[in-house]
This record gives sequence, structure tokens and C-alpha cells, in this order.
Amino acid sequence: MSANLSGVRHTHGRDIVKPLSVAVLIAVMLPLVLLPLASIFIFGTSTGLASFWKSLTAPEAVFALKLSMVTSFWATGFNVVFGLFAAYVLAKYTFWGRNAVIVLISIPTAIPTAVAGFALLLLWGPYGLLGQYLSEDNQIMFTPYAIILANIFVTFPLAFGVIMPVLETMSRSLEEASATMGATRWQTFWHVTLPSLRGAIVGGALLTFARSVGEFGSTILVSGNLANRTQTAPLYIFAKFNEGQVEAANAIAIVLALFSFAIFSVLFFARDWLETD
Amino acid sequence: MIESRSNNDFAVSIRDITKRFGETTVLEDINFDVAEDEIVVLLGASGSGKTTILRIISGLEMPGAGQIILHGKDVTNIPARIRGTGVIFQSYALFPKMNVAQNIAFGLKLRRKPKADIKQTIDRLVELVHLEEHRTKYPSQLSGGQQQRVAIARALAYEPEVLLFDEPFGALDAQIRTKLRREIRTLLKEIKVPSIFITHDQEEALELGDRIAVLNAGRIEQIGTPFEVYTKPSTEYVATFLGAANLLDGNIRNGKFESREITLEIDDEYEFKDGQPVKLVLRPEDIFLRKPENLMQHYQKLTEGVIEELSFVGAFERVGVRLNMPDNAPIVVTRPKTETAAFPLQPGREVTVGVVRFRILPDLARTREHVQRAAS
Repeated sequence: MSANLSGVRHTHGRDIVKPLSVAVLIAVMLPLVLLPLASIFIFGTSTGLASFWKSLTAPEAVFALKLSMVTSFWATGFNVVFGLFAAYVLAKYTFWGRNAVIVLISIPTAIPTAVAGFALLLLWGPYGLLGQYLSEDNQIMFTPYAIILANIFVTFPLAFGVIMPVLETMSRSLEEASATMGATRWQTFWHVTLPSLRGAIVGGALLTFARSVGEFGSTILVSGNLANRTQTAPLYIFAKFNEGQVEAANAIAIVLALFSFAIFSVLFFARDWLETD
Repeated sequence: MIESRSNNDFAVSIRDITKRFGETTVLEDINFDVAEDEIVVLLGASGSGKTTILRIISGLEMPGAGQIILHGKDVTNIPARIRGTGVIFQSYALFPKMNVAQNIAFGLKLRRKPKADIKQTIDRLVELVHLEEHRTKYPSQLSGGQQQRVAIARALAYEPEVLLFDEPFGALDAQIRTKLRREIRTLLKEIKVPSIFITHDQEEALELGDRIAVLNAGRIEQIGTPFEVYTKPSTEYVATFLGAANLLDGNIRNGKFESREITLEIDDEYEFKDGQPVKLVLRPEDIFLRKPENLMQHYQKLTEGVIEELSFVGAFERVGVRLNMPDNAPIVVTRPKTETAAFPLQPGREVTVGVVRFRILPDLARTREHVQRAAS
């Protein structure tokens, strides 16, 4: 798809603005984004692939990656379902306080992740507002459930933010046609609305998952960062770096970076499919 | 307007429908019926309330008052999904993730029809709407006309009580529109399903409808066959909305229409009082600029006039004529090609203006003025 917004020629001879603009773009991105990313791969493979593989397959590393994937999966599942429900309700109904609800759903984006983790501790911690009523065996904090809760909190608005605009711009005549043909609200939602949201749901899920996998600020507070118990991949990187085991940290960093590339490549290259008809 | 037959004689009966949105009355005392294999067109400008009527009949809106009766059953308070109407939306509203066959099958699947029946119905309907080669295509792969046919087939699949068309040709270009509305009318006459169309296009209304209901500001001004509403408009609005019309103020004197030098004999059907202010409605095609050779019985001379402008409009010529009367805008006359060739005109030429057909309507505004003046 061409990004040429206007074919207007502004000069008689060679136009240097275009190559200059692109060069400035790359030059700014280089030290800020491109070089840091490249460093991970350059450093990670500098001692050879065997060393890289050994770091990657260490039991603690494998556990950390698996824990990240599992907790992110559940957080994504919840947020996509709730995001879809919230988007549907807010797109379909007007009610007093509707705008406030939309703002509340979006607030976690603005809250620092450390604050989010701290808030969860204050609520669910052993001496928290609600946590104090839980028995010792049923404590949520410093367990994988705490990680899921933290991921839910920080990624709360993401799927909703992708699905809501699609629902708002969806023609209401589709639902009306379905109703006049005999469909109940559930049948209309299942057969008509949901298929049209396919792209938005997948896009929202990928975004939520990618963000969850990389979550650090809230997770380090609520998980306790216990190796082979509550240590996710980002916490593993942090712990190994602090211990001076840079190669071990680097191996997981490469995996997370590649994972993010994969997700965002899908979001970019499949965007035509992801967009609704 | 309401025939003295019971509700059971009609497929659709609309009784005393009124609808308000806040302080605004969008529909007031709407009454009409649709017979079993009849096509009724609701014709009106944007904002006249025609879409609201359609939405009320289908159950997508609730009326403030009144009744909707389908085949003798009061469905006013029945939800849209069990009312059994088939709606063809202006945007067609085809489900984008279903192909043609799946769209058509949707209503039948909701009704849990056996698979064999569904397949048979799909086969019959794609043949009926001439889309056999397109049954596996998705809406985005179809033209506007094809999408519309799928929308019709989809609505017909579950045998609706009535078909409701919401400006179905609005999104199509002029040539396709003309072709399609003839095809749709033929199809509807073939399947004999009562249908209600809404449109703002008067040509469409005249071609499609067995009867036309002209709406203005939420009220039905007149309902009748295309011939009736065109040749015998009962209000100034109907006269000017449905076709072009020249209007001349005048009064009834001694059973005749008089306006300055113009005197016209009028039919016995009119029951005006002597001195009553009226309006003369003249269709451009009923005005002649020379006395026709094959004299028509009802030809009457209007007055003399001068040609002001001429324009060629394909099938006919449009002529602007200034009548020899003070305070009158030019009237518009249309002449067929045969007349144009036999009797060419130029601007500035003096002509004798005559009419073969006209309509007289009460001039309510001037009547009110006279009454107020008389009272004061």
C-alpha cells in the first residue's frame, strides 16, 4: 500500500526533502530503538549458539517462559471476554455515567505499573483490605494468581480499546435485519455481530497477550519474584542481570523480543484481514 | 381513505398510528391498508415520516398510539423478531461473513427448518432472483443490484407476512435503478407477497406502486392509484411533489374558474362556493401552445403568452411561457418531439396558451385570510 499522500511536485529539480526526511527518521530511531534491539541479538549470540541454547534451556528459564505464557493466556482470555462484553454494552446502550465507565476502563493505561502492583498488594495482600479475610492457604499475593490479576489490571483497556471503535461504527441495520428475521439478541450477537468482530478480537487479544508477557512493574511487587514459583520471564531477566548472569538474561530477552516481533508482524501484515468488512 | 372493509380483508392494516420523538410529532393519524398482492408506495420528502412508518410496521420502533394489524392479527406490541415481516434495508444489510446461500438460509436456520428444506428453498430462491452462479460469493463480491436481490431472497425465504422496502434503489445509479425496479415489480407480482416501499423518488413511486400514499410532515395527504394521485391531486403539496405543476390563483364565479382574463369551465365534480379562493393546477404536458389539430373535447383557451425560454430535455422540450397577466411567473410547458418538429418555437414568439386537463384545489391560505379579514 502506497504511503504517498499527495503526488504534488514542489520543486523543479530533484526533491531532497523526501530522502532527507527518511534519513532523519532512521537516524532518530537508530540510537533509541534499533540499536538497543540489535544489541540483544548481537550480544546474545556473541558466545556462540551452544551457549545461547544452554542458557535458554535452563530449568528456571523454561519455567519463567512457561509461567509468562500461562499467566498471560489467562489474563488475555479474561480481558478479551470482558472487553468484548464492555464494548458491547457501552456501544449499544446509553445510560447515566456511561462516559465515566469508559474513562474508568481506560484508566489502567495511565497508571504506572508499579502503582498498579502496589494497589493490588494493598487490596489482596495478607494485611490488605480484602486479603486480611483470606486464610493463609488461600492467599492470592505471591502466587501465580497474583500475576494473572496484575496482568488483567494493566492490560484491562487494550482489547476493549480495539473492539469498541469497531462496534461503534458497525451498521446497526445488520442487527436490525437479524431481529426482523427472527433472531434473539443472543443469536444476533453470535451469528452476526461476533463474526464481524473477528479481526478486532484477534487484534485485541494479540495486543493484550504481548503486553502481558512483557509486564514487569506490577508483577515484581505482587509475585515476590520467587524462582521456579512466581518468576516470570521479565523478572527472570531482571534477577539474572542483578546476579551478573548476563548471558542467561540475554537468552530470555531474545526470546521475548522475537515473540514481540512475531505478534506485531501479524498485527501489521494481517491488518486487512483483521479489519472488519 | 380507509375502506369500509374489516381488518381481516387486508394483509396489512395501519390504524391511527401516531409517533412523537420528544416534543416533535413525526407521525399523526396514519391510516392505510395493503391488500394481499398489492404494492403500496409511501412517497415523501426526507423527514416526512416514511421511514418511521416502516420501522413501526417491522417492530423496530414502537408507535405512540395506534395499531399494526398483519393478516388480521394485532402485532403492535409484538417484538420484531416474531412479527414475521421481511425488511429490505437501504444498505441491504447483508451479513458480511456469510455468503449468498448462508444469508438466504439464515432465517430458516433460526426457525430450525430441516436441512433438506433449507437447501430446496435456497435453490428455488437463487433461481428466482437469477443468482445461481453467485451463491457461494460474499456480499463484498457482489454488485449493488445483486446485493439487493440477495436481500429480497433472504426476506422471502421465511415467507414473511409483508415485505418492507426502505428506499431500496437509493444506492444505485439511474440506469440500473430503472431496470431493477421493473424487475422487482415483476417479481413481486409473480410471488404475490404484499409489499410496502418507501421512497422520495416520484418516478419510482409511479412505476412501482399499485397505490401511492403521499406523506407530508407526518401526515398522509392523499392515497390512491398512481393515475389518481397524479391527475387528481387533492392538495397543493401532492400536486407539486408528484410531477411538475403550474399553479394559478383564482376564484370560483358562477360555477367557473376565473383569474383576471382567464375563465375556464369546470367539471360538475367540484363543489365550491361562489367566490371561493382556489388554485388552478396545470401539468406542463396538459398545456398546448397552439390549438391541437385533432381537437380534444376538453380543450379550453387559457390566455395569450410569450415564449421566454426553451430547453431540450431528451424525450421532450421544456418551454417557459410568460402569460399576458400581471404578477405571474412564467408557466412551464412540455412538448413532445412530434409537436416540437411540427411547430418549432423561438424565444419572444407570441402564442395562444390552452389546456386540455386541469385540476382545481381549494386555496386554504387565501380562504383563511378572507375569513380573518371578514371577522375583523
